[in-house]
Amino acid sequence: MFGLLKAGGKGKIINLSQVGHLVQRRLLDLGITEGSEICVKCVMPFGGPVMIESCGQCVGIRRREAVQIEVVKL
Amino acid sequence: MEIALIGNPNTGKTSLFNNLTGSYEYVGNWSGVTVEKKVGIFKNNIGQLIDLPGVYTLNPLSKDEGVVTSFFLNESVDRLLNILDASQLERNLHLTLQLLEFEKPALIGLNMIDVANKRGIQIDAGKLSEVLGVPVVPVVARSGKGCDKLVDAISTKSTQPVKKNLVYYGKEVEEAIVTLTGMLHGKTDLSVRFLAIQYFEGNEYVRDYLHSIDDQQKLNPVKAKLESKLQKQYEVKSLANYIYQKRKEVIEGIVAEVARKSNSVIPLSEKIDSIVTNRFLGMPIFLLLMYFMFMLTFDWLGTPLSDLLDGFLTGPITVGFEKVLTAIHASDFIHALIIEGLVAGVGGVLVFVPQIFILFFFISLLEDSGYMARVALVMDRIMESVGLNGKAFIPMMIGFGCNVPGIMAARTIETPRERLLTILLTPLMSCSARLPVYALFVGAFFAGNKALVVLSLYVLGIIVALTLAKIFSTTILKSETSLFVIELPPYRLPQFQSLWRSTWDKGKGFVRKAGTFIFAGSVFIWLLSYAGPSGLKVDMDHSYLAAIGNAIAPIFDPIGFGTWQASASLITGFLAKEAIISTMNIIYFVPNDASLQGLMADYYTPLAAYSFMVFILLYIPCLATVATIYKETNSKKWTAFSMIYAFAIAYVLSLIIYQGGKLFGLV
Repeated sequence: MFGLLKAGGKGKIINLSQVGHLVQRRLLDLGITEGSEICVKCVMPFGGPVMIESCGQCVGIRRREAVQIEVVKL
Repeated sequence: MEIALIGNPNTGKTSLFNNLTGSYEYVGNWSGVTVEKKVGIFKNNIGQLIDLPGVYTLNPLSKDEGVVTSFFLNESVDRLLNILDASQLERNLHLTLQLLEFEKPALIGLNMIDVANKRGIQIDAGKLSEVLGVPVVPVVARSGKGCDKLVDAISTKSTQPVKKNLVYYGKEVEEAIVTLTGMLHGKTDLSVRFLAIQYFEGNEYVRDYLHSIDDQQKLNPVKAKLESKLQKQYEVKSLANYIYQKRKEVIEGIVAEVARKSNSVIPLSEKIDSIVTNRFLGMPIFLLLMYFMFMLTFDWLGTPLSDLLDGFLTGPITVGFEKVLTAIHASDFIHALIIEGLVAGVGGVLVFVPQIFILFFFISLLEDSGYMARVALVMDRIMESVGLNGKAFIPMMIGFGCNVPGIMAARTIETPRERLLTILLTPLMSCSARLPVYALFVGAFFAGNKALVVLSLYVLGIIVALTLAKIFSTTILKSETSLFVIELPPYRLPQFQSLWRSTWDKGKGFVRKAGTFIFAGSVFIWLLSYAGPSGLKVDMDHSYLAAIGNAIAPIFDPIGFGTWQASASLITGFLAKEAIISTMNIIYFVPNDASLQGLMADYYTPLAAYSFMVFILLYIPCLATVATIYKETNSKKWTAFSMIYAFAIAYVLSLIIYQGGKLFGLV
């Protein structure tokens, strides 16, 4: 789902359980969890990481994990 | 009084530390730059401030974060100073709630109120203090505003938390806490509530601690029973998640009470980000910045300054020493020791101080501005393809300054395999101590393309590191797990004062080493070159130094520098890389650097010189680095491996360059 989002796309996380345990924990530490609104800031070329913004802070995650995050578009 | 400073990464913890203690401390702006426990004395002498690495929670993922948890479990502290980022209050309060559960006197420094205001967030510090039951002092750590009030609060106010149990975790959890309290009664001095909650959250450090004081057969069922009960009753995913949600509810309540939000403007940070981390421009911008950094260090600014300093050292200073020595009628031995040994050896290294400080200045600038974390993001794709992650690039960048802090910075990498790989490969980053060697050789052989030749060595180091990462990660260090989640702090305009501090902090080690290690080494090397089997004051070619060098010189014949001089300097280079230069200055004793460069042409061809530089770049890490690798990996096997593979790869590459170059008719 997340893979459909382009830079500038906004969404709300509805399911994080597909994402690896460690990444889930780290995102939680940063306050990103189910229900968080996120905005894709940029997508690096060649399958590189994705920069997302949530509550005014920017976080970089890998494409692989980003695709596993289930979101609904806003 | 001992006070621990604790807070989330990128909340300005280290800036606050500097402002409160007035000591020269290292300021970083990428997650987890504080890799060791650092202690400073408060400006007004009220006690010691302990700077801990930045953490989001007390339940650690990386070794770096584990430092904080073990500090809490094993060391005593009088007060906790929690620094909060006012613009990220929700996230920061998760840590605060855990700290308050620890039930030690605490107080809060509310930082970045200016940033929060710019984002349209107004926070009522008085109200926050009321709600949390601890003093809250607004500060701007970067400028030092409010710091004196904070110090006043630390020294005067009673900081014993007035409210207990801010978070009610629900009937089931609270009952389990009571059960554990009964079991642990009298067995620990720490807050049992804190221990119990952390234990339920799955904190491994706390679990090990509890198992060490009580029977794990008795402890485990309590947690397991609680988890299954909650899962049945509330359909929660896990106990940890349930606890997190409970805290979150409380935090949402607090924030609603103390913060007011109005419409915000887009921070400058986002505008810069759209360029710096642009899909296609990100990498070119990074390379351009690197190029600019090297041109400044070697061509535009650094070299002229070094030449000036060299002129001063070989001119007035040497003449001055000669005059004094003649005036006090020093013996020939003393005269030679000081002029040919010390002035040549130590001076030869000191000459490079300007270039090294310029390089350190740039590294500090990258760290302090927030660009470093972006580099990690931009580099992640490449790093991932060789089995590393983008974060590994940061230790490597720091390694350009000095490998020792670089290797320590690898602690922020969460997965053990990637961390070990980064530790093993960071020594391939060309540290500042290797720079004088290049500077000398490019001056002698590649005067037209100084910066370019040196840049090629730095790039070679990176390429070799990435290639080896790929090889190691597919052979001896195979594993699937990899974790890359990185916080990108907002850009901050670096302040000159803190930049200068961190540049000085990094550079002073180099100067200090010149005054101690290189000083002693120079005397020793000079003595070896002055004495020989046939007595003192022998011809250098018949000295002990020549004998030692000659013994191993044949090994280096195939790679272009089988002279005893080169071999001898390589041996001293293991002690410290810049010792290569002081050794050469002593061996080829000449009145000034310019003629040393002329003399080099008799011993090296340009091709051999390049081969020598490549060898210096890659061969065995210096003693301090090897010691750090041992300390960080805690493994003799990996330490030995790091030395052996480096030597092998250096030899093979130099061989390819020298013999291959000869085939193509280069000299």
